[in-house]
Order: sequence, then structure tokens, then C-alpha cells
Amino acid sequence: MTGQPHANDSVQLPETTLSPSVLSRATTAGVWALFVLSSVAIAVSVWGGYEWHLSGYVVVDGLTTVVWVVVTFFSGIVHSYARRYMAGDARVDQFFGRTFGFTLLVMAVAAADHVALFAAAWLGMGLAMASLIGHARGWDQARAAGSLARRYFVADSGLLGGTLALLAWTTGTSSISSIVARSGSLPSDLVWLAIGGLFLAAMIRSALFPFHGWLLSSMTAPTPASALMHAGFVNAGGILLARFAPIFVDLSTAMALLVVVGASSALLGQALLLVRSDVKRKLGASTVAQMGFMILQCGLGFFAAAITHLVLHGFYKAYLFLFSGAAVEQTAPAEPARADVGLSGVVVSLGAAVGGGALFVAITGKGAKLDSGAFLTLVVVLTTLHATRDVLKQSRLPSRFKLVGLPLIVVVPIAVYGFLFNAVSALLADVPMTNAPTELTAVHLAVGALFVVSYLAAEFGWHRSSRRLYVALLNLSQPAPETAVTTTEDYNDA
Amino acid sequence: MTLDDTKTHIVNSIERAAENVGSVWPLHSFVTANPLSGFEDRPFHEAVAEAEQLFGGRGYPHPSVFRRAWGNGQIDPEVLTAELDANGIHEAPATLLDEMETTESVSASGTDSSTEEVDRVLSKWLTAFLDQGNAEWPMPDREEGFYAAWREVAPYDGEIPGCASPSDLPETPIAALEAMLSDYPQGAWEAIFERQLAALPGWTGFIKQRASDDADPWQSAHPISLTEYLAVRLLLAGFLDAPVRPDEPAIESVENDEIPLPEVWLTAWEKSHRDRLLAAVSQPDSEMATADETARPAAQLVFCIDTRSEIIRRHIEAVGPYETHGYAGFFGVPMRYQAYGSDVAVDACPPILDAQHRITDRPAEGMDSRQAQYDRWQGVLGAGKKVLASLKSNAATAFSFVENVGAGYGAALAARTLLPARVYDALHDTDHAPADHEFCEPSVDYNPDSVHALREGLSLDEKVEYARTAFELMGWEEFARLVVFTGHASQTTNNPFDSSLDCGACAGNPGGPNARVLATLCNDADVKTELRERGFDIPADTVFLAAEHNTTTDEVTLFDGEAPEGHEEDIDRLRDALVQAQARATTERTESMAAESPDSVRETQRRAADWAETRPEWGLAGNASFVIGPRELTEEAQLDGRTFLHSYDWRTDPVGDALEAIMTGPLVVTQWINSQYYFATVDNAVYGSGSKVTQNPVGNVGVFQGNGGDLMTGLPLQSLYADTDQPHHQPLRLTALIHAPVEQVTEVLRRHEQLVQLLDNGWIQLTVLDPEQDNVPFHYQGRLEWEPVRSEQSAVDPVQTVSGEAAD
Repeated sequence: MTGQPHANDSVQLPETTLSPSVLSRATTAGVWALFVLSSVAIAVSVWGGYEWHLSGYVVVDGLTTVVWVVVTFFSGIVHSYARRYMAGDARVDQFFGRTFGFTLLVMAVAAADHVALFAAAWLGMGLAMASLIGHARGWDQARAAGSLARRYFVADSGLLGGTLALLAWTTGTSSISSIVARSGSLPSDLVWLAIGGLFLAAMIRSALFPFHGWLLSSMTAPTPASALMHAGFVNAGGILLARFAPIFVDLSTAMALLVVVGASSALLGQALLLVRSDVKRKLGASTVAQMGFMILQCGLGFFAAAITHLVLHGFYKAYLFLFSGAAVEQTAPAEPARADVGLSGVVVSLGAAVGGGALFVAITGKGAKLDSGAFLTLVVVLTTLHATRDVLKQSRLPSRFKLVGLPLIVVVPIAVYGFLFNAVSALLADVPMTNAPTELTAVHLAVGALFVVSYLAAEFGWHRSSRRLYVALLNLSQPAPETAVTTTEDYNDA
Repeated sequence: MTLDDTKTHIVNSIERAAENVGSVWPLHSFVTANPLSGFEDRPFHEAVAEAEQLFGGRGYPHPSVFRRAWGNGQIDPEVLTAELDANGIHEAPATLLDEMETTESVSASGTDSSTEEVDRVLSKWLTAFLDQGNAEWPMPDREEGFYAAWREVAPYDGEIPGCASPSDLPETPIAALEAMLSDYPQGAWEAIFERQLAALPGWTGFIKQRASDDADPWQSAHPISLTEYLAVRLLLAGFLDAPVRPDEPAIESVENDEIPLPEVWLTAWEKSHRDRLLAAVSQPDSEMATADETARPAAQLVFCIDTRSEIIRRHIEAVGPYETHGYAGFFGVPMRYQAYGSDVAVDACPPILDAQHRITDRPAEGMDSRQAQYDRWQGVLGAGKKVLASLKSNAATAFSFVENVGAGYGAALAARTLLPARVYDALHDTDHAPADHEFCEPSVDYNPDSVHALREGLSLDEKVEYARTAFELMGWEEFARLVVFTGHASQTTNNPFDSSLDCGACAGNPGGPNARVLATLCNDADVKTELRERGFDIPADTVFLAAEHNTTTDEVTLFDGEAPEGHEEDIDRLRDALVQAQARATTERTESMAAESPDSVRETQRRAADWAETRPEWGLAGNASFVIGPRELTEEAQLDGRTFLHSYDWRTDPVGDALEAIMTGPLVVTQWINSQYYFATVDNAVYGSGSKVTQNPVGNVGVFQGNGGDLMTGLPLQSLYADTDQPHHQPLRLTALIHAPVEQVTEVLRRHEQLVQLLDNGWIQLTVLDPEQDNVPFHYQGRLEWEPVRSEQSAVDPVQTVSGEAAD
């Protein structure tokens, strides 16, 4: 669309005007309306205390409304952001159409009670996301990344569909809530088959190691689509596990398996992050780790904690993606400085760490008994220890700030988290198995020890002496070869 | 032949082969350079044809761009017809447009898969080695240099089959090159190097630039050279079975006198623009009003030659008795500047110059409380950032950290997305965070005690020299009570290309610090005395101030901390005028933006702070011409921010020294800028960096598209295009218009072969308005010859040709 022809005697630039995208306006309004409705639904269920059913097809319970509010919020942010960010893009309408469709499909996944609806919505959201990864159609590598993701999502949908069909067939019902209720009576071979299918589907969708390839090759997606992917899409694995928790929550081997699978992704993802220098893939590696931790929380029996983690991680990661353009700064080469905090510093930070852990236990109740919750408390203690030591190390910080800042750093975030966790727990109260801590086993102790070792390794830089490890991590964090842009001529979005 | 000879031959061949690689600067100091600078010694059409063979980039705008320009009258039909006739083309324009569109070839990059594999593995290692502080765990052994570091890790890389130990690899890069090239005759080496360097032009351009910068702290800490790049590349080619000598024929030098059809159209478009520019500029009265006859202006403001200055200057002149001037935005002081509290120093001068002085911002006396306040605030911010970064990267703490800060990120997410204009207000709440310019002053005095590679400060002679040069180049005669040197900087957020919007004359840095230095020099009593001795009549009541023009919001901030008493009223009035000018300028500028707010100032403020805004301002998009002459020439014209303006008065420059300085400095820099905008517009994938929407910043040095591989170079799509197929920038080569006697200009050209080369090869179009010949326009015709245009006659109807030789 070009403006009117200009007078011939002018040196002015001809007007270039954008045709406003009607679809973007409509979908943005629509998604915010859905957010309001979801918030109303949550309020009604809290005060009114009732659940809405379309028996056998749709269930709107605590998990549904929490997911609805969260996904419509992220989607609303992404829509509003993209209305300015994507202006002038050749396929702006397709972007909004897919993003809005994706939102509806996630809402459907959260509310589906019929196995077919669940599986179809699960596949649909995968296809919508794969299409967003390949948004730039004229660009071979983007298309390759899109089809790579599509293959993963078709595979996990196949696994999930097969599992659900199996469960529906053996239990004689197509309602997920009924399947879950009857799972106790299923033969154990079948249960293990179902668990295998569910776990693999969750791992693929949450981009857990060794299925992280699609996520680390997905940087061809427009930034807002990536934000939605990392804040919304990868969460599906956690939602799946929370929905089907009663099937496996009493099987300590299955739960231990989740702990191991989650912990490996958590630690490996963090290690991949260390060697990345491109902003978006660094965030991608971080998502692999955070999703691992979320699955780890599921394995510990804290499904409400896992859902809380999904929400908070979504805020964090969406923000960092949407702000990824701000990451260019001029720096000077420097060796990581290691300032000593002295004995008093060690005492203060240890004290703060124990205090932080105690506060966490007091507010959330996790770890009050010597069960798998102790692991989560350990992680909080390590984090508080690290944060306080770090604050004490900052020489540019006036001591007055250290005095005021330390307690703030310990108390405020832990308290905020604690209350959010309690709120989510309360909302999920009607979902079976939201908080089912397991007994401490050797697996938990081993994973706990691994976390402590990783903490120390990061602290003292033990890993830095191994070139072999460096190369292994660098190679593991590479995108799929066909999605790399080695000839910029291939990039052709214009 | 001895080993040394072979080594010399390799080094020389690499040097020659590297000439075609365009330098790429790190993104935090974006330099708008010509990506084809290595081809400037060839005629434009040959240059773009050779570059297309080498890099696969287009050389001319897409036919649809010509179609649009033709459709909305940007290309004058008469000019086009004349241009076509001159090239022996007689078809109708519409037919030609169709013809151009049908002959558009779909270029397929025919890289074979083993070469792609080499590209990919090599990019991986370059990305790791060239990182500037983004990875927590950088590549090991970087201090040994690229080749040595790679040699240590290569055996562990499963993607390099057959390399088991460092001892499998030659010890030095030269030895590696000798080994890999032993099968090829020495005569073929340069062609091999040329192809291999062009395989990853983003990274090789970056290495070329970095290796040539002695002052780059990253280069001194982790050295890399094109020789090392080639050594690793050829070894990889060996391991991965990729051809060392590509099958494609060597780059043929395209010697062809026939001008391609798109260039004919381009020239017609440029001439149409030039004719309109000539019509718009006032014919300056041959006896221009002398200074004495006009009233003394209330203030004189000196702006950068940047095209964006044209708009704000016009509006400042309109709101009061103010006079404006144009001068290179580094204010003639080639300095390496270190801001207060900054770890890094930047070279705030055009990249064609080397920094000569080190200037550091230091707290001024009596500003302790402000400084303490600033330090406290910065201390908290800095400490917070460090703590966050370390919590994120520790494997055990990252998870609990995310849970604890997630809610805060959620709030920020909503605020930034839904209330961007409020974010601007919040960022501008300076109550507890004073700006550093409020309590700092630049260290302009020569400091013999400061031991550094570059000495600190300036001697008195140098101070006088910089001040004198400024006034001489601008042809300054009369001084107002206030003289304001106004640098410029942009204000954007979430923008990896923010430095591309800063001052190009300061190598992509803000121009305020340079303005402060020149103002400080001019206020120096000794400098004033010296200047008066040299004929500059500076009244006792003249005060020099510095300021910074925010090109995103058009706010002009006066750095008036040191202003002496007695000028408060003048300054207050000026400040009011600047606010009015801001409102007027933003109204004009927001017309070409899809504005969301009816309040234009508010709209630009929103754009400055909005993290979702990919087009915070248009930068220098639209730039097409450079006018060197007095403001009287252009003050009546509405040039729409498309013209660089350098003040110059031929009457105060009898020998042509000032003209020579302007033509060899600013003119060359504007051609760099103009070429960058041109090529990034005609091929945004090869010479630009594509859409911001899919960019992925890497290593603090550049951006990838998507998953990365080669570094993208040049301006992003959103800096140039209103939407994917509608360029906002019109890809025209620079038209220079100089108001000076033709002979004077010819003299300058005669002394500078490089300028003649740029002109004769069509990189710049030049027209001179000769004040000694009734301001008749003379179009440069090549080989120092001119074609005058008498009024009433069309540009293509030469009456006579004035030969430069004859003008002697």
C-alpha cells in the first residue's frame, strides 16, 4: 500500500503506511477476553466452590482454570507485544491466527476429559507451534526447524494417542477422570506400558534430554512465538503428568524414574547454558534445565509445586525472550573475579541460608517431614547461601545496603514464592494427587548429592579444566545441522 | 624457494584476497560502512557484478522498487527517457519494468554439502572463540590465539573425523596452510583464499576488522587473524572431504562498458532526486547579506551533519532568533572516551581516523554529593545484576532462583507490554539517579602523569587547533551570546542495533561527550585569546555550551552545569524554544510512523521505551544527498531529513583548505553511510541482517538469524523497510552538492585520487553550485570534467563541457 503520488518537485520520501492487521486486533481483544473469563472462572470456583463438567468430555477443575488463566495471560502479553513487534511482517495474519489457535488448543488440553479430545488438542497445539517455528516461509532453515519440531510433536502425539487408546480400551471408558480413577485395577504390565508412553510424551514436549533437539533448533521462530513456546508450550509435559498422576504416583520406581530423568535434564541444561554465547539458545538451554526441574518436582510428588514452577518460570522466560534484543553490551575481557567473603561472611551466609530454608519450610510445609520435600528445601538453602555470599562479595555495594538487602533477599522472594505456591495448591485442591511427597530413598540422596557437587563445581570452576567436557557440551548444544544458517544468502524473509 | 618465501607468499596472497571482504564492526559500536568497500576501485556495475559472484548479493533494487518509484513519480519521466536514450534503449518504461521483472533470476546458493559442513563446524568454533563475555564458560586456551586454541580442542570434536590428537595438526597456521596448499600451484592460492574467505563473510569481515584494530582489548587478549581462520578452514576441508579449491570458476573481473538496465533506472532516479534538490535549495543571493547587516542571533547551535539534524534545525530556526550550523558530530576531536564508571573506552571518532587523545569523565569539584548518590545507585544496580547472573548460571541455584523472582518478572512483563509509555516515565524518574553529565567533566587538560597507550588530554596548541578548525570549516564569522555544540544520541530499548542509531561520526557512539570537549576547549580563556589572535572575533559575552540531541524523541538536553552567571535568561529562553522545536519536529516525524498516540512527543517517548518497538526511529533511512554550503542555501527547503548538511562558506576559504578537509572527511563518511543503507536495502539477507523478529544476538558482537551459523552484517530489515516489501529507505547513491567555485573543487579532486575514484566509478554523484558563475549548477561528468546547466535548460542538454584541465 503506497500513499498518494507526491508532487514532482519535492525531495520528500513517499509515505509508506502499514495496512493495519484486522486479525491482530481481533485476536488480541479475543485473547484478553478469554483471560478475563478464565479469571472469573477461577474466582467462581474459589468462592462458589463448584466444578463444571460436561460429563465425559470436559472438566473444568482447579488445574484447568489455573492453566487457562496462565496461558491466556501469556498469550495476551504475546499478542499485545506482537501487535507492535510484528508490524510489517509479511505473514503477520498467519502469526496471529496460529498464536490464537494455539491458545485455544492449550485451553482445550487443560479442559479435555475425553481421550480423543485430549489427544487431538495435544496434536493440534504441537502442529500450531511447529508452524510458528517455521513462520518465515521463504527461509529453508526455518522450514527445516519447523518440520523437525513437527516430527517430534507427531511422535509424542502418537505415543500419547496410543497410550490413551490402550487405557480407554482396557478400562472401558473414554473419560480421563474415570480412567485415572480406575487405574488401580489395571494389570501392572499395562500400567508400565502406559507410564512409558506418558513419560516419553511428556519428555518430548517438555524438551527434556535426550529430546531437547527440537527446542535448541527452534530459534527460527519469531521472538514472541518463542516466548509463548518457553512460557506455555513446554509446560504441557507437566500438565500431562499432573493429569495422569494417580496412575503412577504410588509406584516408587516410576516416581524415582521421573526424579532421575528430571534431574539429568536440570543439570545438563544448566551445563549447556554455560557454553552458549548466543542469547536465544542460552535461554533454550535454560528451559531444558527448568523443565527438568519441573519434572523432578513431579517425581518428588509435588505436582502443585511443579505447576507453580511452570507459571513462575513462564514469567521469567517470557520476559527474557521478549527482551532478548537488549542483550548486546560492550564488555572488557576479564577473568571471573573471586572475592573472599571471610569467615564472618561464611557464617552470615550460612545463617541466612538456614534461615531461608526454615522460612520456606514454615510457609510451604515442604520438607517439614523427612520426605522428598527435604530435597526442595535443600535447593532453597543452596540458593540462599549463594545469593547472600554473592551480595556480601560485591565491593561496590555500601554496607548499609548489605544489611538491609540481605534480609530482603532472603525473606521477600521466599515469602512471595511460598504464598504463590500455597495459592496454587489451594486452587488445585480438587485435583487428585497435587501434593504427594514420597519417602526419601537412595535415589533422592544421590540426586541431592549431585546437586551439591554441581553447586560446588560451579562455585570453584572445577569443570573448567576439562576441554573434553567443554567440547561435548558445545556439540550437544548445537542446532540440528539442516537448521543452521551458514550462508546468509539463504535467509530470505524479505 | 625457501620456507620464508612461501610464508611471504601466503601472507601477501591473504592480504590481497581479503581486500574484497567488507569489514564488520562489533554490534555495540555499529559502523555504517560500505559492505563493498573493497570494490570501490571498479565502476559500480562491475563492482556489484563481482560481489554477486562472490557473496550472492543483489546489486540493484528489485524491479518492484523501481515500479513503485515510477508509479508515484519519484522517477521523473523526462529524466528517465533522456537516460534511456543516452544508453541506446528505446522501449517504453512500462515494457522495461516488465522485462526487468521477468529476467529476475532466482539465485540458488549452490554450496555442496561437505562445504556446508565445513561452514557449520567452523562457525561453531568462531562463535565460541569470538564471544565477548556472553558465555559463562568461554572456549579454553583463547589467550593462545585462535589456531592454537582450536588445535587443543579439535581432537575432542566428534564432528571432525580423523583428528585424534593435537599432534595430528600442524603446529602453526602457516604450516597448516603450506600442507593443505601443497597440491596447488602458488598462482592459485589467492583465488582459493578469496573463495574461502567469502564463504563466511560475516565472521571473516569481523575478524578482518578486529585484527586491524590494535586498541581492541579482546584482540589483545584473544588474538585471531585471517591466516588462522584460513588454516582452520582448510584443515577442516581436508578432514571433511570438502574441496580446497572450489569448483566454481575464479571470480572473473567483469569488464564491461555496457551499463545494465537497472543502473540506468537507478541513475534516472538519482538525477530526478538531484533536480528536485536543486529546485528546492534557494539560489543564494550572489551578494549574500553580510553578517553585519543581520541582527546577532540569540544563540547558535551546531549540529551533526547527520540527516536527522536537518529536521530539528529547521524547527529550532522557526521558533526563535536562532542560527544553526552543521559540522561532523565528533566535533573534530578524535578521542578515545571513557565514561564515568565505565570499564571500557570507546573511540568516539569516524573510523577513518585514529583516536589521538584519551578523555575520561571525572567528577567535577564540589559535586561530591551528586557523585555519591550516583555511585550508590549504580552500585546497587551493578551488584544486583551480578548476583542475578551468578544465580542463573549455577546449576543448583537456578531453579529456586526462578521461582523466587518469577513474580517480579511477571509484573515487569505486563508493565512493559501494556504500559510502554509509563515505562518511559519510570526510566526518566531521575530523582535518585542523577545522570553522570550532572557531576562529571571531561579530562581535557594534558596529563603527563597518566601512562597509557594513548596520552590523556590535549595541549594548548591542540585545543586551539581543534577550535580553530571547527570555525574555519563552518566558515564562522560572528559569535552569539550562546554557542551550543549539540551532539546526538538515540534512545531505544531492546534494540541490538541501538548503536546504528547513534552518531556515525563518533563510530556509533553518542556525540554528547565530544560536544562537551569542544565546548570546554572554547571556553578556555587561553584558547579564546589565541583564537582572537587568529582573527576570530569572540565577544566577551559569548559562552560555549554542549548539548545532546536525542534523535528518538527530539529532546535536546543542555549540559549547562558550568554556564557562568549572566546567561541564565538566555539559557531559559533557549530551553523553551527547544521544547517547542521538539513538539514541531516530532509532529513532522511521526507522520511517517504508524503513530498510536495523537501527542507526537508522547508517541516518540513511547517508542524510545517500548520493548516491543522494532522501529523506534527511522535513523538515517531516506538519506540521499549531502549539501556542503552555507545554511542560506537550504534554510527555505523542507528536505525531509534526507540530506546531510555541512556548513561551509567559500568566501572564508580562499585557498580551499576547509573544502579539502570536508571533502576528504565528512564526504567520505557520508558515502559509507549511504552505501550501507543502499546495499542493506537492495539485499537485506546478504548485506543486511534480516528481520529483527527472528534475530538472535550472539557474543555481544553481532546477531544470528535463527539458529545461527554465519554472523549477519549490516542494518536490519526494520531500519529500512516499512513492511517486508515496502522499503522506507529509497536506495539511491549519494548525491553531493557543493557550494564553491568549480575550480576550487577540481583542485581538491586533483589532489585526492581516492575521491576521483569514488566519483568516476559512480559511488557518489557530484554537483557544484558555482557562486562565481551565478550559482550555476555544474554536474560532474568524470575525469575531472563538468557539465554546466544553464537555467531554462534541461539537465541532459549540455551547452558546453568545462574541462577540469582547461580550468587550470
